[in-house]
Amino acid sequence: MMHFSRAGSTSRMALGVRCAHMAGRFTVAGFILLGVVASQASASAFDRNVEHYRTQIAEDIGQALSGARRLRDCIAADDLEGAKKAWISARGGWERSEVFTSGLVPELDEKIDAWPKSTTGFHAIEAKLFGAQQTGVQSETDALIADLAELDAKLRDMPLPPQALLNGLARLAYEVGESKSDGGESRLSGTSLDDMRNNLLGISQAYHALFSEALAASDPALAAATQADIETLKALLDAPGLAAINSSHLRKASEAFVITLASMAPKINLQKPVLEEFGK
Amino acid sequence: MIRRWQQLFLSGWGTRVAAGSALLLGLTLAISNPRAFPVYGDQTVLPAGTELNEDALDRPREIFNSVSRGGGKSYLINLGDLAFSSPSILGGAARRAGISCNSCHVNGASNPQLYVPGLSTRHGNFDTTSVLFNPKADDGVLNPFRTPSLRGASLLAPYGHDGRIASLREFVRHVIVDEFAGPEPSPAILDALVVYIDDIGFLPNPSLGPGGRLVAARSSDAERRGEALFAKPFPHNPELSCSGCHTPSAAFVDHRQHDVGSGGLFKTPTLLNADFNAPYFHDGRFDSYDQVVAHFNAVFDIGLSVEDQRDLVAYLTAVGDGERPYERDGVITNVKEASDFASVLDIAIASRDKEVIALAVETVSGELRETVESFPERKDASVSGGGQERSLARLALKELVLTLRRIDLAAGADRFDDAAAEYKNFRYLMVSAVPTLLANAEPWSLFNPKVHDAHYAALKQTLQTAKRASP
Ligand code: HEC
Ligand code: HEC
Repeated sequence: MMHFSRAGSTSRMALGVRCAHMAGRFTVAGFILLGVVASQASASAFDRNVEHYRTQIAEDIGQALSGARRLRDCIAADDLEGAKKAWISARGGWERSEVFTSGLVPELDEKIDAWPKSTTGFHAIEAKLFGAQQTGVQSETDALIADLAELDAKLRDMPLPPQALLNGLARLAYEVGESKSDGGESRLSGTSLDDMRNNLLGISQAYHALFSEALAASDPALAAATQADIETLKALLDAPGLAAINSSHLRKASEAFVITLASMAPKINLQKPVLEEFGK
Repeated sequence: MIRRWQQLFLSGWGTRVAAGSALLLGLTLAISNPRAFPVYGDQTVLPAGTELNEDALDRPREIFNSVSRGGGKSYLINLGDLAFSSPSILGGAARRAGISCNSCHVNGASNPQLYVPGLSTRHGNFDTTSVLFNPKADDGVLNPFRTPSLRGASLLAPYGHDGRIASLREFVRHVIVDEFAGPEPSPAILDALVVYIDDIGFLPNPSLGPGGRLVAARSSDAERRGEALFAKPFPHNPELSCSGCHTPSAAFVDHRQHDVGSGGLFKTPTLLNADFNAPYFHDGRFDSYDQVVAHFNAVFDIGLSVEDQRDLVAYLTAVGDGERPYERDGVITNVKEASDFASVLDIAIASRDKEVIALAVETVSGELRETVESFPERKDASVSGGGQERSLARLALKELVLTLRRIDLAAGADRFDDAAAEYKNFRYLMVSAVPTLLANAEPWSLFNPKVHDAHYAALKQTLQTAKRASP
């Protein structure tokens, strides 16, 4: 095909493309991984903000934990409706903390939010409570409480590197654009739209706690654009139900936001965010 | 043609009180046909129990006449193919559910697994005039029709099961606007769809020679006896014969409508590649040629012996065959299709055609987003190994999605040079890094039947949990 040969010019190509041009497997992977090994640059500038952010996610995890404990009590009392409410509340806290959980505590994320092999975690409990309409989720709930408690303890003194948080933020922003015409992430409980809104709250919270101040100082116009992207997403999620969401607009807004985040990164001395989890 | 496994399967959830029955229904279907996972739950756009079979690993093979003739696919063919796979040219529920022409006419063929509760009476048929897809076209009756294959469509006018519309262009417009509540398509998109559909060819069938006659050296005695019966006048209606309506030299059609005792006037369907077109007749009432032949024998009192009927079926099977009817879905086919679709950007950007740019970005990036889900996330415990490879494949695909979005944003702001540069990046990634990274991860992807089955088995297990002890 014609276009293939013309692609040889590297004039306006991004770094990644030129690396990919060198072909070898290692180089190709290197290009993609570039951001993972990212800069430790100027982490100190974020220290104060990071501590503020830590208290915010501690609150979110706290909500998840207390919801899970309430869930245990409801189960003990065989109160199905109460148990469902407690599950939904716990879920909300968890979804807000996703900016940091998926990248920084993958081993706990794997247990707490297991899918599709969900023998533990939120979805295992959801299946029984909302699908089978029964409260026999004692052991799963105990495990969830233990995992959330471990997360809560860990969070107190674990390092929260800004690059990892930016990665998590961008990854979640991309996910918000995923099609939910099928009922979304938590279809059994019917709370997928809440999941998305909570994800966005978590994104907004992380952005404001960690990055907005630095960005406003270095590039006020870009800071305004970032805020506008968040507002656009918020407006698109302000729908009466999942089916009323314009998924193509949502997808476009989510991708545009990720692109804005990528252009923001160098302005705050970080690398372009990496949209995948590469483990430790 | 890139599926939505996740979308389909993850929708495996009912809600609240409705959940019990929906899950029960869905589960039965899932178990009876493990490759066709249904949709359910009351937050879904399509009704609970819907099956689109988009997780199938084997896809109908598509033949492009232009390529068979030794040429290449033109811009218009690629644009038509793209539009054919784009939910955004439709409206209402179809668009919201991510359904495109290609969901039903898979790779230009049919979809025998299609099942939409309330709109289908069996797998493979579908009511095109329903309140779900276009309230304005709802005729208040459940009258589902078999989803026809579009192979050889250029030879099969008039269109529709009843041949109600002579022009393909008019029929396609009717499908978009009347059946799926889409916006009036632009003349350019409509032209492209018609050029594409006209380019969908039959699979080659070496058993057939000039004039649609069996090639003697390649046929059995039974098939040749069947061929003779096919041409023989019916004893009580000597003006009729099978071949009088199914003209062998004209793709086995006569471009007319007839009453063959199936409840009205219907157009004569082609018999070429028909082995892959079951269920048969306008409403899909018959599963096999045996049933079809028995129907004709009874309606026209032809007096065919059991042996005669067997011979006719052997002949129909020879005529209806096609070379390599299915192909395995995989990284290569996916990359090739995305490249072909995206190739329209070359001309669209140069000619500053914002409509086509937006359509291409929306459709290709939508499909690439779905392809990401073919490479299970690292934390997906139903797959073991290849975590790094999977992450790299997912990342590469996400980067492509963002590159396409940059093209869209640049074109939207009249920065066409930037759009062209981004498109160059896209092409470049598509011929170098992307195929390599995807191929490296393929063994741990849902393109590998073992991984595919383990992944769905895990989901099925979760559904079992949701169902057990439900009322
Ligand atoms: C939900 C399933 C579905 C979708 C989506 C769909 N079709 Fe169809 N198509 C059908 C069915 C069922 C028929 C038969 C209906 C009839 O005969 O009236 C049909 C008939 C046709 C025919 C007539 C074929 C012939 O030989 O008579 C054409 C052409 C066609 N469709 C093209 C399209 C195009 C183009 C699109 C997208 C714009 C599309 N279809 C979308 C199910 C679908
Ligand atoms: C008078 C014209 C006519 C004659 C004679 C006729 N057919 Fe048909 N054939 C049709 C029509 C019309 C249909 C579609 C009926 C419907 O959709 O309900 C059809 C359908 C079929 C189909 C189903 C194809 C599909 O994809 O659904 C087969 C197979 C077939 N005919 C074979 C035969 C054979 C074998 C004979 C001779 C025994 C025969 N036909 C005689 C007109 C004819």
